[in-house]
Amino acid sequence: MHHAFKLEENEYNLELSRAPAGYRLHLADRTIPVNLHLEDDGSAVLTVNGRSEKVLVATRGDDVFIHLGGVGYQLRYEHPLQRLAAQAQGSAEDHVRAPMPGSLVALHAKPGQTVARGESLLVMESMKMETTIAAPRDGVIETVHFAIGQTFDRDALLLSLVAMVVEGKKS
Amino acid sequence: MKRLESKLNTASAEFQANAAHNRKLVEAFKAMQHKVRHERPERDIQRLKAQDKMFVRERLKQLLDPGTPFLELSSLAANEAYEGDVPGAGVVTGIGVVSGREVMINAGDASVKGGAWYPLSVKKTVRALDVAIENRLPVVHLCDSAGGFLPLQAELFADKYYAGRIFRNQCMLSKMGVQQVAIVLGHCTAGGAYVPGLSDYNVIVRGTGAIFLAGPPLVKAATGEEVTVDELGGCDMHTSISGTADYPASSEEEAIAIARDIVAQFKRPDKTRIEWLPPEAPFYDPAELYGVLPRDIKQGFDIREVIARLVDGSRFHEYQPAYGKTLICGYAHLWGYKIGILANNGVLFNDSALKGAHFIELCNQNKTPILFLQNITGFMVGKEYEQRGITKDGAKMIMAVSNSEVPKFTVMCNGSFGAGNYGMSGRAFDSRFLFSWPQSQISVMGAEQAANTLADVKIRQLARHGKQLTAEDVAAIRDPVVAEFKRKSSAYYSTSEIWDDGILDPVDTRNALGIAISAALNTPIGDPRYGIFRM
Amino acid sequence: MNHTTNSVPDPAVLQATRARAANWPFRSVLIANRGEIAVRILRTVQALGLEGVVVYHAADRKAPAVQLADQAIEITGATPVAAYLDAKQILAAAKSSGAGAIHPGYGFLSENAGFARAVAEAGLIFVGPTPEQIELMGDKVRARAFVEKGGFPVAPSAIEDDDPATFAERALKVPFPLLIKPAAGGGGKGMRIVREPGQLKAELERARSEGQRYFGDGRLYVERYIENPRHIEVQVLGDAHGNVVHLFERECSVQRRFQKIVEETPSPALSPELRKRICETAAGIAREAGYRNAGTVEFIFGAGGEFYFLEMNTRLQVEHPVTEMITGKDLVLEQLRVAAGEKLGFTQEQVTSTGHSIEFRIYAEDASRGYTPTTGPVLLLRPPQGEGVRVDSGIVEGQDVTAAFDPMLAKLIVTGRNRAEAIARADKALAEYALLGCITNTAFLRRLLNHRAFVDGQVHTGFLDAHPEIAAQPELDQATLCKLLAASALMTKPMRDVADLVPDMHAAIGSWSN
Repeated sequence: MHHAFKLEENEYNLELSRAPAGYRLHLADRTIPVNLHLEDDGSAVLTVNGRSEKVLVATRGDDVFIHLGGVGYQLRYEHPLQRLAAQAQGSAEDHVRAPMPGSLVALHAKPGQTVARGESLLVMESMKMETTIAAPRDGVIETVHFAIGQTFDRDALLLSLVAMVVEGKKS
Repeated sequence: MKRLESKLNTASAEFQANAAHNRKLVEAFKAMQHKVRHERPERDIQRLKAQDKMFVRERLKQLLDPGTPFLELSSLAANEAYEGDVPGAGVVTGIGVVSGREVMINAGDASVKGGAWYPLSVKKTVRALDVAIENRLPVVHLCDSAGGFLPLQAELFADKYYAGRIFRNQCMLSKMGVQQVAIVLGHCTAGGAYVPGLSDYNVIVRGTGAIFLAGPPLVKAATGEEVTVDELGGCDMHTSISGTADYPASSEEEAIAIARDIVAQFKRPDKTRIEWLPPEAPFYDPAELYGVLPRDIKQGFDIREVIARLVDGSRFHEYQPAYGKTLICGYAHLWGYKIGILANNGVLFNDSALKGAHFIELCNQNKTPILFLQNITGFMVGKEYEQRGITKDGAKMIMAVSNSEVPKFTVMCNGSFGAGNYGMSGRAFDSRFLFSWPQSQISVMGAEQAANTLADVKIRQLARHGKQLTAEDVAAIRDPVVAEFKRKSSAYYSTSEIWDDGILDPVDTRNALGIAISAALNTPIGDPRYGIFRM
Repeated sequence: MNHTTNSVPDPAVLQATRARAANWPFRSVLIANRGEIAVRILRTVQALGLEGVVVYHAADRKAPAVQLADQAIEITGATPVAAYLDAKQILAAAKSSGAGAIHPGYGFLSENAGFARAVAEAGLIFVGPTPEQIELMGDKVRARAFVEKGGFPVAPSAIEDDDPATFAERALKVPFPLLIKPAAGGGGKGMRIVREPGQLKAELERARSEGQRYFGDGRLYVERYIENPRHIEVQVLGDAHGNVVHLFERECSVQRRFQKIVEETPSPALSPELRKRICETAAGIAREAGYRNAGTVEFIFGAGGEFYFLEMNTRLQVEHPVTEMITGKDLVLEQLRVAAGEKLGFTQEQVTSTGHSIEFRIYAEDASRGYTPTTGPVLLLRPPQGEGVRVDSGIVEGQDVTAAFDPMLAKLIVTGRNRAEAIARADKALAEYALLGCITNTAFLRRLLNHRAFVDGQVHTGFLDAHPEIAAQPELDQATLCKLLAASALMTKPMRDVADLVPDMHAAIGSWSN
């Protein structure tokens, strides 16, 4: 079960495989025949266990948006390589280091702040070019090690995230 | 292509009795497989847990594409060797699908003697790599082996087909452009270090994976140097300093995910195109095979009843239906692939041998893979047949089989005795895959026959020394011989010795062959060229 | 249009007004607003054959109003909101576009007397009341005094500053329960509810010391405390010729964080007699003020049928469409007509109420997380359609919902012959209302409208606080979860690729092993 989706606070592991007609969804304890037929108008027919219904679906990056049964949902896909790297290498992702020597020109995060993966943390300048440093994962800022205007070397520890508790390395 | 018409009365007592008998055999086979695959002493299970390692079956589940088949090879290898202590020979091999690619899996099983290589482990691995070479299957190695089993080193180290052959085969694959990825999940020591070393790509797990020619104790003994496993051959050293390993991973699951992504980069093969039709399930239920196979190996049955339960729509184009009728030849489709079938319906006579040779030539001419369904007691013997040239007709068939360019597949359906084994593409004749059914037997002659021959020799020796033997004495000599002969001619012995690629539940044969044929088509089919057919 | 709900506007009225509009003192109207209300105003402006001009900040470039307008003029600001508050730029835009009138919509500059004045000084017509009326009603103390003086009901109260010596005495005369408030207060701090006259003295002391502590000011006032109050307001309309009518009430009791989310008319709380009284009170207040244009008189309404003036909004309300739906009057059209100097086109007797209409504000927010705003791209938008369904929307597919503005995206107005029919239609419409890319409150609104208390019309302004289960995310059932995961997996390329790359035969064989 390498693939996962996050819905609200929960993570669900699953796999998809192809059947002679349609697909199979593999969950921890079940395998369910499924299919999704996209119509031209953006709607889709979702078939689960032989039962079909109309849904609306859209994606943007790793986010999947689904309108199902009168309710809108948002799920986020977690690529196995990203998820497993984050899971196992939690420590490596706790630290944001400078990709090159430079100076800090803008700071968007402060200790205690909750940040989402990809969110801009700070902007550094090097060789007259500005580089935005983004959060490597969702988390909370622990320490910001430099102030605006200060310079640093490559690999300098710029910012630390509060370490994640990694539960059971294997899922 | 018309449908075969089954003459079988599935309501008959005979059918029911056969079915009950064969189902029991299959149950016993499955029970044994289950034991070999899953049952381990508690201490071995605990040891893996303590090392933070997954069981090999879990690793495979993570590695293989979900909802896809896995054709395991030689699942019962070594089941009659080493007092049964090395289930599956401590190695799992087979053809599976990873990132949409058909690949050969070569996975060490550290739950068996720490993954130590026994002679049959080596034989099984070499065979898997031979299959990879012949069928150009990329290989995923899951490395977790303690190294060669030293007490038996003489039987696994030096000879042509011993451990060195593993690495030689890896090099051959590489030369052929067939890609390999190794996942280092445990220690790869000495020769074992070359498995990742000779792979195109390798991934190593931090903490548990290590690669070195000699481990820390041996290094200390040899040079006095004191060094830790990680310093000597750990994940970070090899991925950042030596370059011996390519991808670091922090967990087995991550390593497997990386390996899957690596396989996803492999070029997919251009399959050899052969005749193909959309697949169709057999018209006759394959489960009826249990009722087709007799309880007594000596009892004959119409092999067409078997064909009807293997091929698409039970449709069969029979070649020369009125000639050489003890060898059924013809075309069918299996999982859509067109195949030629040679199947025994009795002893091979001159005409059946000639028909067989001719049909093999036809299949080679039109690039049709061949399936041999063996139930053969041999070529006919006797003055009349020798005068008619049974030997030279048999030689023609063997010549045609040996030089056949199309991929061959053999199923030991029942008996495989004498030279018939050769004419029907036995193990020595490079069938791409060879499977056995649980009740099948292989030997140079039938057990009773052979035992009698052996007992007679002994009785005559004793008689020369003036000993008179009672019936009891004869039985005392004869019975152990029969028992031993029977043991060694059973499918279980055959598969233990890796004379085949595994025992199959007859019902699984169709899928196994489908996967085998698909794999075989990774390799182009050459033009036929034969030696001298003795005319 | 259909037969069970009103056509807004009445086609005959529209046609006649359009003909007269050719002679109005303005031929072009600039809309100093954004979002759904800009679209709403634009629709009537253009229907009358007038030119519609909008101003927009770059963040709204893809907004539908910009697309629909005859002219769209970009304005800038330190923040997007600042741009829409920049009177100077807006007046300049009106000048350059040749607009003769400015409609401020709601929010932004709509209740800014200075702006109304500047519009007039620029020689343009402000579509709204006079600056003086805005000023009067904008000052809560003045407004209250004005209303009280006119003999209209305001909540009984006693103010310490009026005469500190008699404060406690006067407070005792206010009907209980009482609410003690610090004169300098805010945010609920230092407020105390007193239910027994015997407790008043002690509570006054505590409130005084709290007020001192929090605000450095111990002065107090008390007013009648209304338990579980309802918020009921009345739509009024006046012209420059002294005519004032009301267009019935709206009940806006369902609120979250002091903001309305569901409004309906008629109010389920009013008997015909009460309705008549409250509506006439509102019209009386407007008349007293000589009120011009559209306005709303808000009341606080107690369980015993008592109601008190709260404030008057001197502009078009967000929730004006429910009034339009039951009266058949196009309020924007009436506003423009009044602004053009015409007399009201109808008398009080000619305003009738037919059916029941409910408005749901569609917010980009997550009710289960304290109604926090959500953002995201509008990837797919499918507003509901059908009988009795009206959608006033300010978004289109391809637009981004950002945190720059108020999170209200659109309004769903559902009308039926009666309340039950309106609720049933609303449930269906909300279920159909699909916006993908950003979480909205539609599912929350469905839970709300299906709540027993709402169905029974038993709501008050503290209703959602009293029923936190409505905002809470309901537990997902296994079947729904399974469907979501199936659809997600099938929409996710890396997952689908893994499945699709499997050769046909292997896929057909499936999870098999020998």
